[in-house]
Amino acid sequence: MTASTRPDARSKLEGSAVFGMDLEAPRMLWAALVPSPVAHGRLKTVDLSPARALEGVVAISAVDLARLLPGSTGDPDRPIFPSGTVEYRNQPVAAVAAPTRELARQAARSVRVEVEPLPVAVDLEDVFPEWPGSDADGSPHIAAHVRAREGDIEAVFRSAEKVVRETYRTSSIHQVALEPHACLAEVVDGEWKVRTCTQTPFGTREDIASLLGVPEESVVVEGTWVGGGFGGKGAALLEPYALLLAKATGRPVKLALGYREEFLLGRTTLPSVIRMETAVTAGRIVGRRVRLLLDVGNALPGRDFATGYSIGFLLGPYRTPAFEVEGYAVRTNKPAFGPHRAPFAPQCAFVVESHLDHVAHEVGLDPEVFRRDHLWAPGDTTPFGQAVGPFGLPTAFDRARAVAAHWKQDGGAGTGTGVAVGFWSTGTGAGGEARLLLSPSGITVVQGEREIGSGSVLVGVAAVAARATGLPRDRVTVAYEDTAHAPFDSGVFGSRTTAVLGRAVEEATRTLFEEIRTRLGASGSVQLEVVGDEIVAVAGTARRPVRELLSDAERSVGGIVALGRHYGKAGTIDERKVEVGAFYPYTDFTGAAHAVQVSVDRATGNVRVLRYAAFHDVGTAVDTASAAAQVEGGVVMGLGTALTEEALWSEDGRLLNAGLLDYRIPTLGSVPPIEVTFIEGFAGAGPSGAKGLGEPPIIPVAAAVALAVRDACGAHLTELPLSSERVARALKLL
Amino acid sequence: MARSLPLTVNGKSCPLDDVPDSERLLDTIRWRLGLKGTKEGCRSGECGACTVLVDGVSTLSCLTLTHEVEGSALTTIEGVGEEPTGRAVQEAFARAGALQCGYCTPGFVMALAGLLRERGRAAPTEELLDDLGGNLCRCTGYLAIARAVSTLSKEGT
Repeated sequence: MTASTRPDARSKLEGSAVFGMDLEAPRMLWAALVPSPVAHGRLKTVDLSPARALEGVVAISAVDLARLLPGSTGDPDRPIFPSGTVEYRNQPVAAVAAPTRELARQAARSVRVEVEPLPVAVDLEDVFPEWPGSDADGSPHIAAHVRAREGDIEAVFRSAEKVVRETYRTSSIHQVALEPHACLAEVVDGEWKVRTCTQTPFGTREDIASLLGVPEESVVVEGTWVGGGFGGKGAALLEPYALLLAKATGRPVKLALGYREEFLLGRTTLPSVIRMETAVTAGRIVGRRVRLLLDVGNALPGRDFATGYSIGFLLGPYRTPAFEVEGYAVRTNKPAFGPHRAPFAPQCAFVVESHLDHVAHEVGLDPEVFRRDHLWAPGDTTPFGQAVGPFGLPTAFDRARAVAAHWKQDGGAGTGTGVAVGFWSTGTGAGGEARLLLSPSGITVVQGEREIGSGSVLVGVAAVAARATGLPRDRVTVAYEDTAHAPFDSGVFGSRTTAVLGRAVEEATRTLFEEIRTRLGASGSVQLEVVGDEIVAVAGTARRPVRELLSDAERSVGGIVALGRHYGKAGTIDERKVEVGAFYPYTDFTGAAHAVQVSVDRATGNVRVLRYAAFHDVGTAVDTASAAAQVEGGVVMGLGTALTEEALWSEDGRLLNAGLLDYRIPTLGSVPPIEVTFIEGFAGAGPSGAKGLGEPPIIPVAAAVALAVRDACGAHLTELPLSSERVARALKLL
Repeated sequence: MARSLPLTVNGKSCPLDDVPDSERLLDTIRWRLGLKGTKEGCRSGECGACTVLVDGVSTLSCLTLTHEVEGSALTTIEGVGEEPTGRAVQEAFARAGALQCGYCTPGFVMALAGLLRERGRAAPTEELLDDLGGNLCRCTGYLAIARAVSTLSKEGT
């Protein structure tokens, strides 16, 4: 395989890459979880005796925790096994380990679980048929409440020429990483060690320590290859159960979900209801009111992250002089809301773009011009008072609009085009650290993240290290160590990894070069050159092979070590606008404008995506091929959100379509050609001004498709996904 | 009832003992033979990640009982690169960047290797892509995979 291929190509193409599902150890036992049979109820009986009667089976439930975790209360708000009430269907109430996977499943099925049913809350609008009143903050159904405002919104709405009001609904969607969650746990000499397919080794360590109530230092997380994350493999999910069974049995324990369980236990995006009101005078938006009810499932009060972060996206990247936004995170009997690639931002973009497009129709303005006129420009401040800074979205919008106009010229009957935008920010997490090891023949970046597929670690960090050190890419290796050995990093999420670890690598390189300069006894800038097989350090007139610069101690570890860290800070918002709860500032502002052409079948309502163009503000493209691959993959994932993906919940809290035939993700035949263009020159928070790119590609997709559907057939849909059935209903075919 | 069965795996004779009648080929490959390059996704024939070749024909190992393939020649991702067609598929995927997380990758490689064995390189790209429609990928959006396929098709060669 050629040097230009990804460093992980060979192991993944030849089958040697070890994923969480592939883990195995001598004397290993298989685990299985015992699910709650109802979505809400008082736990009366968990009778493990039928399972324990099976040969070689060990079973544990809440009553065993005191024995397995002496002196620990764990996290009282998040018991590993419930002892009082169960809060969602399939919530694990016990766990078993057995010599074979089949026996473990048989044992789990044999456990007798009795639950006295309590009323089940599934649908947001059954919980709150009316907008929550002033007494809602005391309700057990509210996990978070946020409100912010600017200006005298009531007066603005009273005096406006036109007010447009709409209600939108979005669906529950699942990450659908092809690899189910899986881990292998061992407890040896008081150390809780788990190998697992995680996006966040350090975050998972912290979570495990909190759930078990043990010191963080006693937990070691070793990441495996991750068979797709998309937000679903952060924090702890299976690890505490596997570790407790390992403690109970004294043997390594493997816990791997079946794909149905992957759907049933996954923490993901849940439904929402969003009310949008926009006041317009003389063609300008003068005020907006946004209200969000977001289903957060079993999320704990005070620990919901989604609402305060998401709600900023519901104003969109648009100038809004007066506003009121209010959101409630609503608890229901489902697994907790969890991150899904740009959590809830695609849904927000769908609502904002569809609504403002509709507003323009209602006041008789060109919808694209109307949105473009209100789009943030570099130098603007957001409605929350944060400086936008360098921002390529207006440029991207103009480019996308030009493409759509071109397509429109040769678009046939039944086709339509849409242009939509979304914004995002390069995340930092807490921060990240990287260790450089300069050896006589190359440089190694030692860090704590496994590659989850996006290329952010193995390609992105490597590209930054090559650029920072001046070495060719084939002299750069990115190495992984477990949480006991690696420098800290927050995790692979939030479009942050290449940016934060890249900045850490840049800082480590500065330290390294300073050290080299000292050892060369020279001044001036340091350069590393490859001469034959060796790396030679040059500064001013001094020039020596790295080999000669090493001390004896360094020769034993392999080279010169330098540490770099980057703990980025978000900007600030005007906190005076915040009345209730917490809103979050962004690190920088990135964005994308997408153009799409669709055809709508006037007999069936079926939407076919014909062609697609994506324009992304990336600051600087760190690695063009990987960046384009992120955009292609994100757009196609977004087409699923737009058209087919919808997890359906019954009134008693069952997930009805927990499988890949009934929950439809895009397939090979449904994918349009996608043109990808990068807008550069608007510097962001990452190395050389790079901006995060893992999440932005999914954000504008559903919005762009919705606008194209309206353009094609006049159907203005206010619910996701834009299924054939919904389009057909809008066209009065059903 | 458990009984023994003859099998050739990646060109080597690998007779198996005491295989229960209900054992799936996927589990035999992964846990009995230790060849974990064959991936377990849905275990119900919906994702294609577990595709292997049985006597050269691409087969979902999760829906196949091991006893059904008694006496067959089995090829997995670990062995497919020994054959020119399999090697060509692996190299085309690498060149086109047709993988990200890599979990669906062995299934795609095996399915495509099976198609090319069956049809040869005279097959048009569109036909090959149609026949790969049962393999799911969540990372790439399929476009890089389609580019890899096009280099191996009638048009690409």
